[in-house]
Amino acid sequence: MTRILPNILRGLKLKTKITLGVAFMLVFCGLGIGLILSNMSSKALLEEGRKRGMALTSGLAFRLAEPILAIDFLQMKNLIDNVHNQYEDVIYVFLTDNNGNVLSHTFSGGFPTDLLLINLGEQETHPVLLSTEQGLVYDFYARVILGERNLGTVRLGLSRQIMDAQIQRQRMTSLFSTFGVVGLGIILALWFAHTVTYRLNRLRESAEEVVRGNLNVHAGFSLEKNCWEIMDCEREECPAFGDTQRRCWYLAGTLCPDCKGQEYPHKMESCRACPVYKYNFGDEIQDLAEAFDVMAVTVKRHIEELTEREKTISRQQGLLKTIMNVTPDFITLQDRDLKYKFASKAFCDYFNLREEEIIGQTDFEIFSEEQADLNYHEDKQILITGKPLSKEISFNRPDGQKWLHVIKVPVYDKVEGIIGLLLTARDISMLKKYQEQLIQSQKMEDLGRLAGGVAHEINTPLGIILGYTQLLLEDIRDEDLLDDLRIIEKQTKVCRKIVADLLGFSRHSQSASEPVDINESLAEVIKLVEHVFSLNHIKIYKNLDENIPPLTGDKERLRQVWLNLLNNAADAIAQDGVIYVKSKLCSHRQRLVVSISDTGKGIKEEHLSKIFDPFFTTKQVGKGTGLGLSVSFGIIIDHGGKISALSPPPMEYLPEDFPKSDNFGPGTVFLIELPLDQKEEIETEDNNGKHCRT
Amino acid sequence: MSKQLFFLFIILSLFLLSSCGQGEDSIEVSLEKREEITFRPQLPALTYAYLPQYSHTESFQRHHRLVEYLSDQTDLAIRQVFPDTFDDHINMFGQGKIDISFSNPFIYVKLANRFGAQAMTRIIEQDGMAEFRGQIIARADNHDVQTIEDCRDKSWVAVDPSSAGGYLFPLGHFVDRGLNLEDFREVVFAGGRQENVILGVYAGLHDIGSIREGSLRVVEDKIDINQIKIIDNTRSYPGWVYAYSPRLTKETVEKIREAMLKLDYDNSEHKALFDAARFIGFIPSSDQDFEPIRELSQKVGLDLD
Repeated sequence: MTRILPNILRGLKLKTKITLGVAFMLVFCGLGIGLILSNMSSKALLEEGRKRGMALTSGLAFRLAEPILAIDFLQMKNLIDNVHNQYEDVIYVFLTDNNGNVLSHTFSGGFPTDLLLINLGEQETHPVLLSTEQGLVYDFYARVILGERNLGTVRLGLSRQIMDAQIQRQRMTSLFSTFGVVGLGIILALWFAHTVTYRLNRLRESAEEVVRGNLNVHAGFSLEKNCWEIMDCEREECPAFGDTQRRCWYLAGTLCPDCKGQEYPHKMESCRACPVYKYNFGDEIQDLAEAFDVMAVTVKRHIEELTEREKTISRQQGLLKTIMNVTPDFITLQDRDLKYKFASKAFCDYFNLREEEIIGQTDFEIFSEEQADLNYHEDKQILITGKPLSKEISFNRPDGQKWLHVIKVPVYDKVEGIIGLLLTARDISMLKKYQEQLIQSQKMEDLGRLAGGVAHEINTPLGIILGYTQLLLEDIRDEDLLDDLRIIEKQTKVCRKIVADLLGFSRHSQSASEPVDINESLAEVIKLVEHVFSLNHIKIYKNLDENIPPLTGDKERLRQVWLNLLNNAADAIAQDGVIYVKSKLCSHRQRLVVSISDTGKGIKEEHLSKIFDPFFTTKQVGKGTGLGLSVSFGIIIDHGGKISALSPPPMEYLPEDFPKSDNFGPGTVFLIELPLDQKEEIETEDNNGKHCRT
Repeated sequence: MSKQLFFLFIILSLFLLSSCGQGEDSIEVSLEKREEITFRPQLPALTYAYLPQYSHTESFQRHHRLVEYLSDQTDLAIRQVFPDTFDDHINMFGQGKIDISFSNPFIYVKLANRFGAQAMTRIIEQDGMAEFRGQIIARADNHDVQTIEDCRDKSWVAVDPSSAGGYLFPLGHFVDRGLNLEDFREVVFAGGRQENVILGVYAGLHDIGSIREGSLRVVEDKIDINQIKIIDNTRSYPGWVYAYSPRLTKETVEKIREAMLKLDYDNSEHKALFDAARFIGFIPSSDQDFEPIRELSQKVGLDLD
C-alpha cells in the first residue's frame, strides 16, 4: 500500500496533485474541524440542555419549599404542572418529601415506581440518562433545602429528543458548511493549481522546445508596461529598449543611471530599488520563467557562436583531413604510451590497414616484433631525450625496394611537457631511383668520355698498324706471312670498328645532318634483315604512320639504331617469333615514337637499368660486344631523343592477331622518342583521335 | 519521514473520529409500569406556629432550630406549621391546629380573648428589652413639627393599620395627647414596611412618621439618619409572646416553659438558635402582662375580641 500510493501519485499531473492535496487537506481539516466543532457544539447543546433542566429543577425546588412547608398540595401540583405544561420536552416532574413520599407528580394513571429506585442523589454523574419507552430522558434531581434541612426532592425528566434534533440540525449545518467551504476550497485549489501549472506547463513546453532545438521560446508573460514606458525613457540605443521578451535587469549594458554598466546578477542590488523592478517583478515561477527565457536567449547566442566556431573548426578539420589524406607522406601521432592517436591515409594504405585498426594500437600490434621493438626503443629514446630523429630506411616490398625518409619529433604540451610523438615519413624510392639514374648517367658520361679519349688515342696507332699491315700485305709474298698479316689486318679492323663504336657512343664520331624520313629508313632496314630473319621463322610486322614528317638527323646512324634494335629482337626471339615495328606521330608533343617490340625472352627487371651500359650484354661471350645498345643510346641522345625499354611490353605495342609460337616469351619493347623539327606544324592526330603514348 | 507522517495522520484521524461519539451511558427505566401511590400519614405531634410575619421559609429558618430543641428537651414530638395569614394563624389556633403560638401581643390578646390562649413566656429582643415602643419622627429640618401638638393637621405615614409599634402604639400616644385620627391632615400606610415610613419622611412626602423603636438603625446605611429627628416615644408595651393552647396539659406546658427558660444566649450551643430566631432570651410571662394592650385597644377602638 505504502508503495502503490507513491507510484500512483508519481504518475499524476502536478495540477491534479495540487488539487488532490489541497482537497484532501481541506476535507481532512474541514471534516476534522467540523467534527471537533460539531462535537463541541453538541456537547455544549447537551450541556445547555442539562443546565436548563437543572435550572428548571432547581427553580422548582426553590419554589416548592413554601408549599412543602405549608403542605399545600394544590400549589405543589400547580407548580410542577406549570413547568410540565410550559415546556414540551419536560416529560415528567414529581416531588417527594424527605421520607420519600411522593407529594405530587405529573403522571396520570399511576406513578412509574421505577423512578423512585434510581437517581437518589448518590450518582456521580448528574443528571442521569434514562432509556425509557419515550426515548432517552435526562432525569434531574434537586433537593428542596431550607438552611440545612432537607424538605424533599424534586425530580424532572427532560426528553433528549429535542436536544438530539438540535444537535442533528447543527451537525447537518456543520456538515453542509464544511462541504461548502471544502467545495469552495477545491475550486480555489483548482484555480490555484491551474495558475501554477499553466505557468509551469509554459515553462515545460518552452523546455521541450529548447530540447527540440528551438531556442526562440517565451516562457514568461508579456509585461503590462515595459521599462522604457515606466521610466519614460527614449534611449533607443539601450539593449533593453524594445525588448519585450526579457526583463531589463537580466540584460547587460543597460543605460539606466543606477546600473553603472554592471551585468546580471551584480546589477541586481541597484535594480531592486528601481521602480521598474518594483513594478514588474513577479513571483518565483515568474522569475524562473524569465530566467529561463534569458537562459534560452543566452544559450542561443552561445550556440550560434559555437556553431560558427564549429563550422570554422570543421572547415579547418576538413582541410586538415584533406591535406592529411591527400599527402603521400606518412603522418602519425602517438601518445606517451606510443599508442597511435592519428594515422594519415597514406600510412594506412601503405600498410594496408584501416584507420580504426591503427588508432589505439602500438607498433607491436601493427608491425613485426623485430620492427616494433626497434621502433619502441627509438621512440622511447626520443620521448626521454626530446631530440628529434631523422633517418632513411629501406626495405623490400613485393613491388621492389622501397626507401622512406623518416622524421620523428617529440610533441610538447605547455603544461605536461612531451605528450607524444609525431612521425612523418616520405617515400623517397623514386628519388633514390632518380639518384641512381643520375649516378648512372654520370657514370655513363664519365665512361663515354674515358672511352672516347681511349678510342681517340688508340685510333691513330690502329690506323698506323692497319696502314703498315696493308703495306706489308702488298710487299710480302709469303703466303703464311700474308695469312698472318690478313689476320692482323682483320683484327685491326675489328679494333677500329670497336674504336669507331666507342667514339660513336661518346659522340666523338662525325655525324651528318640531313632530312631523314623515319618510315623510309625503318622500311630499308626491315627489308635488309627480313629475309635473314625469316630463315629463323621470325616475322616482322610494321605499322608506320604515314603522317610522320621528315626530321633532321643522321640517316645512317639512325639506320644503325634500327638495325641494332632489330638484331637484338631477333637474338631475343632466336626461333619463331614476331617483331612488331610501329611508328607514331605525337603532334601535340612535337615528337614521334618508334616502338620495336618482340616476342622474345624479355629482359629481367634488374637488367633493365643496365642494358644501355657499354659492354653490358646477356649474350654469350663472342656473340656481342655489349656496345650495340650503348651506341644506339648515344645516337638517340644525339638526336635529342630518348630511348627506353619495357619488358614485357604492354599489349598496345604488339600486333593484334599475330601467331604465337610455343616459346612465346614475355617480350620486350624499345621505345624511341625523337623530337620533330620545331618549324614543323603538325596538326594531325592519331587515327583514334587520342594522344599518342610513349 | 513519510512513515512518521503516516502514523501522525492515523493518530490524528483516530483522534478526530473519537470525537464523533457522545459516550453517555443510560439506565433502562420503564415509565409504563405504574402503580397508584398514597401519602403516608404523618405521626401525631404538637404544632408550633410563628405568626406569619414573614414567608414560610423565613419562619422555618428562624424557628426550626428552636422547635427541634424543644422537641429534644421535652421528648415531645413538636412540628412547625405554617399559617398563611394572621387570620389563618388565629383560625388554626382556634381549630386546634396550633398548640404553641408565637405572636405579637395584639394577636395574643385576640387568641386569649377568643380561644383561651395563655401566655407562657415572652422573648427578650436583641436590644435586650422584653418590651418595645413606638417613635414619632420628622425631618430634622422640619421646624414646624417640634412637639406632639405640632403634629396636628400634618400628613402622617404609619407602617400598617395592624402594626403595633408602627401605628397602634403611636395612635394611643396621640389619643393620650388629645389627637385623634381626624386631627391629621392625612394618615397614610406604607404597606407594612418600617423602611418605607422613614424614607417617606426623609423624602419630605410626609410630615411625620411612626415607626417601631430601633427601625432607624435598619436604614442607617441607606440615608443619613441625622436628617431624621424623633419627636416623641410612646410608652413601652410587652413584646412577642409564646402562648399555649388550653388543650395542652399543665405538665406539657411546664416542660416547654422550662425548656425555654433554660436557654441561655451566652451558651455557645444556644447562641445559634437565638441568632436564627433573632432574639436573645426568654422571660416567664402571664396574661396580666398584656393589660396595657387591652387598654390601648380600647383607646384606639381596636376590637380584640
